[in-house]
Amino acid sequence: MIRLRYELRLLLRSKVSFAALLLLLALSLAAVWAGLSASARQNAVIDRVAAAQGRDLAAAAKQYGKPDGEAGYAAYYTFHLTSDRPSSLAFAAMGQRDIQPYVLRVRLLGLQAQLYETETINPELALPGPFDFAFVLIYLAPLAVIVLMHDLVSGEREAGRLRVLSALPTPPGVLWLQRAALRLGLVLSVLLAPLLVGALVARAPIAGVATLSLVAALYVAFWTGLGLWVGAWGRRSAFNAAALVGSWIVLVLLIPALGNAVLSRAVPVGRGVDLTLAQREAVHHAWDVPREAIMDPFVAKHPEWKGTPPVGGRFHWKWYYAMHEMGDDSVAGQVAAYRASLAARQGWTERLGWLSPAAAAQSLVHRIADSDLPAHLAYQDSIAAFHRRLQAFYYPYIFNERPFQRADFDRLPAYAPRAPSGSTPVVPLLGLLALTAAICAGAVSCSRRTTG
Amino acid sequence: MKGRFDLIGRVAREEWRALARNRVSVVAGMILAALLVSAAVLGVEQRNAIEATREHHQASSDQQFDAQPARHPHRMVHYGQFVFRPLSTLAFFDRGVDSFTGHTVFLEGHRQNSANFSEARQSSLLLRFGELTPAFVLQTLAPLLVIFLAYGAVAGERERGTLRLMAAQGLAPSHMLAGKLAAYGGMVGLILAPPALALLVAALVGWAPPGPALLLVLIYGLHLAIWAVAAVLVSALARRSRDALIVLVSIWMVLVVLMPRTLPEAAARLPAPTRIETDIAIHEDLAKIGDSHDPDDPYFSAFKAKTLAKYGVQRVEDLPVQWSGLVGMEGERLTSQLFDRYAREAFAREQAQNGLVRGFGVVSPVIALRQASMSLAGTDIESHQDFLDQVERYRYAFVQALNLMQVEQIPNRDAGEDPRISADNWKRVPSFAYVAPDVLRVAGDRVAANLAILTVWLVALLALVAPVARRLRKDAR
Repeated sequence: MIRLRYELRLLLRSKVSFAALLLLLALSLAAVWAGLSASARQNAVIDRVAAAQGRDLAAAAKQYGKPDGEAGYAAYYTFHLTSDRPSSLAFAAMGQRDIQPYVLRVRLLGLQAQLYETETINPELALPGPFDFAFVLIYLAPLAVIVLMHDLVSGEREAGRLRVLSALPTPPGVLWLQRAALRLGLVLSVLLAPLLVGALVARAPIAGVATLSLVAALYVAFWTGLGLWVGAWGRRSAFNAAALVGSWIVLVLLIPALGNAVLSRAVPVGRGVDLTLAQREAVHHAWDVPREAIMDPFVAKHPEWKGTPPVGGRFHWKWYYAMHEMGDDSVAGQVAAYRASLAARQGWTERLGWLSPAAAAQSLVHRIADSDLPAHLAYQDSIAAFHRRLQAFYYPYIFNERPFQRADFDRLPAYAPRAPSGSTPVVPLLGLLALTAAICAGAVSCSRRTTG
Repeated sequence: MKGRFDLIGRVAREEWRALARNRVSVVAGMILAALLVSAAVLGVEQRNAIEATREHHQASSDQQFDAQPARHPHRMVHYGQFVFRPLSTLAFFDRGVDSFTGHTVFLEGHRQNSANFSEARQSSLLLRFGELTPAFVLQTLAPLLVIFLAYGAVAGERERGTLRLMAAQGLAPSHMLAGKLAAYGGMVGLILAPPALALLVAALVGWAPPGPALLLVLIYGLHLAIWAVAAVLVSALARRSRDALIVLVSIWMVLVVLMPRTLPEAAARLPAPTRIETDIAIHEDLAKIGDSHDPDDPYFSAFKAKTLAKYGVQRVEDLPVQWSGLVGMEGERLTSQLFDRYAREAFAREQAQNGLVRGFGVVSPVIALRQASMSLAGTDIESHQDFLDQVERYRYAFVQALNLMQVEQIPNRDAGEDPRISADNWKRVPSFAYVAPDVLRVAGDRVAANLAILTVWLVALLALVAPVARRLRKDAR
């Protein structure tokens, strides 16, 4: 214990080490604060949109909620708001929440023509990526570790103390391990202290915070292990620093960028456009075919509307909404294929965690924070479910030709926020564990042989 | 005079020899060269693949439009048109914001839809690590290579004690510095050679516009030269080479990694209404202008009176053209005006946010470089906005062309239950012809400003060489 205190004093006496730790603490604090305020901003936007939507809905209710109001008109002109609030851990890892819409309005019309609309985003601001805890962890924490670790052994040699240290009764290697552990502990504490404060402020669930901290610990341990290993080779401090920064470039910048380039070519996602083109074709083709071509399959799908009054005249809302639903159904296969290609991209990204601890950590923290691509897809699923509720709500009015009145606007279904889908994915966690264990084992065995 | 250049040349040659003997630096340089070459090849391949997909989608969408059967023109207004943004050729070099902006817009009457299916929205978070293009390598990695090669340039001599030795032998520190700078200037040229070659070849074969391609070489050359001069200067000021390395990597981290991320966070605090709020506001504004379905509405009553007077008739039934088509055209005109106004306001707000970040280009040459690079590659936000403007102009022309068909070809009276016009009409509707903006005309000012910033940085750093050399002389005594 006393030794540890001495070691700590020794470490913090180095101006560079102290500055690196202080800087990491400041950046982690700033990132947590930025994440909290970005989360708060998104919540405020959702509230603001809900207020505007309230006005819009009231205007629609006034205009279409007449005693003899037609449900067809009401459904056509009424938009329904859905929103996706940031999870309580999103402040730590904003992920794609800066580019994926978190508010979307839908109508009873074909869902596939509405689901992929974009919100206002400023692409130039989104380009570099959000400034949040995940960024500090993945990009900056390794650099702090490099500053603390690159002269662990070589610094002693260059100061002429290495032989004296080797002559101490402590078994070889233990000293280096203790020193590395101390540095790991310090980096983790300055990194995680702001996170824990943020988690308290955001009332994040303990399990999520614990997993997030575990991922951070594994990731920082990987870099500490790498630092110890490189340091144990016995080269000069400058060489160690260069080698470690080189590893950082490869593992944090290069492998992910290469992986992305390969992935975007290997798994194309043009099917999204294809399916919207196909859906439009299906919906508009319906105007040129006999009514039965639409109504027969629709009634086969919804036998509950079989006995309702038949569709007559040039235009009928029954036929109109049936054709939109059938349009969606006609591209169901393409939607599934599109979703499969997105899932494939996500799957390969997680597998890249076996190669790069940065990619593994990125997949992990954003899955835990529920702010990645799967999170957005879950939001889309909840919109689809809500759209089905809209159909179930409007169809009885439309098919039984019941008037849609002012009071019926108060009965409109409200979008229920999706259940949090944050989880801990196994593949990148195993990848990160394996990488960290391998590096640490290598470092331990190598540092044992390091003597004067 | 000749002797001085001889000395400088000898120092530069010596530095080159030392670099060539250092295995690590040779390997690192070769890795970077390989990366640049593969990023360029991959960039061209990827750009062409993206462009081919968009072209294919555009062609099939146009074909589908022309193949529609006889219909009421208003049906075609809602059948709409899909337009796809063609990708500039220089996007192979710098993808800019293209992956973050949607590349396809669905055009229809009285609605302005968003540009959808951006690559970033359809990718995993992996894309956020950055896209491997020559621009990424040159902006992010090449400065690090320069730092790694140059951090010991002077500090290393100091550590080995050769600095004093050289001074004792009569080599003036200013000549020594000039020699080192010449050596690393040559190094910058070597790093830049593969991408410069790619750009020049692309320009020579007429694939890429020559002006922007040459300017890209120039700005990246300036940028790397800034790093090289800064590295040599820091190395001359540092006591140990390790200190130089730490200082330089820290500067790199702040300028390349940290600032680009933190500044947008500040800019994002400037409020911007969502699309939904804008839609609602436009809807409310339209309601304020008038309701065409309300027979007593003052705006549309006036429009009716004006139209009747124009055709010299008393009742709408007597009009020689289709009345509801005319009302549709007037409605479209009103909505489009609002779309334009709101789009202008939204873009102004976006630019206010971006202005906050771009202003820091004065402090960080990296920001100036990124902006100029995107502008020259035709992948900046202004090029995207230019696309959106062209799309909206086309949307208006397209919808009004169909509305006019309704006005002229659908009978005003007794049109029957299901009036349609011949399918030949759809082929006469013009398809979207995107005119790629001339980036030197559209972005000339911004490129010039950023070029000036880079030049000032380089000149300012070079001006520091003399005082640093004086300090070295003092040290050597």
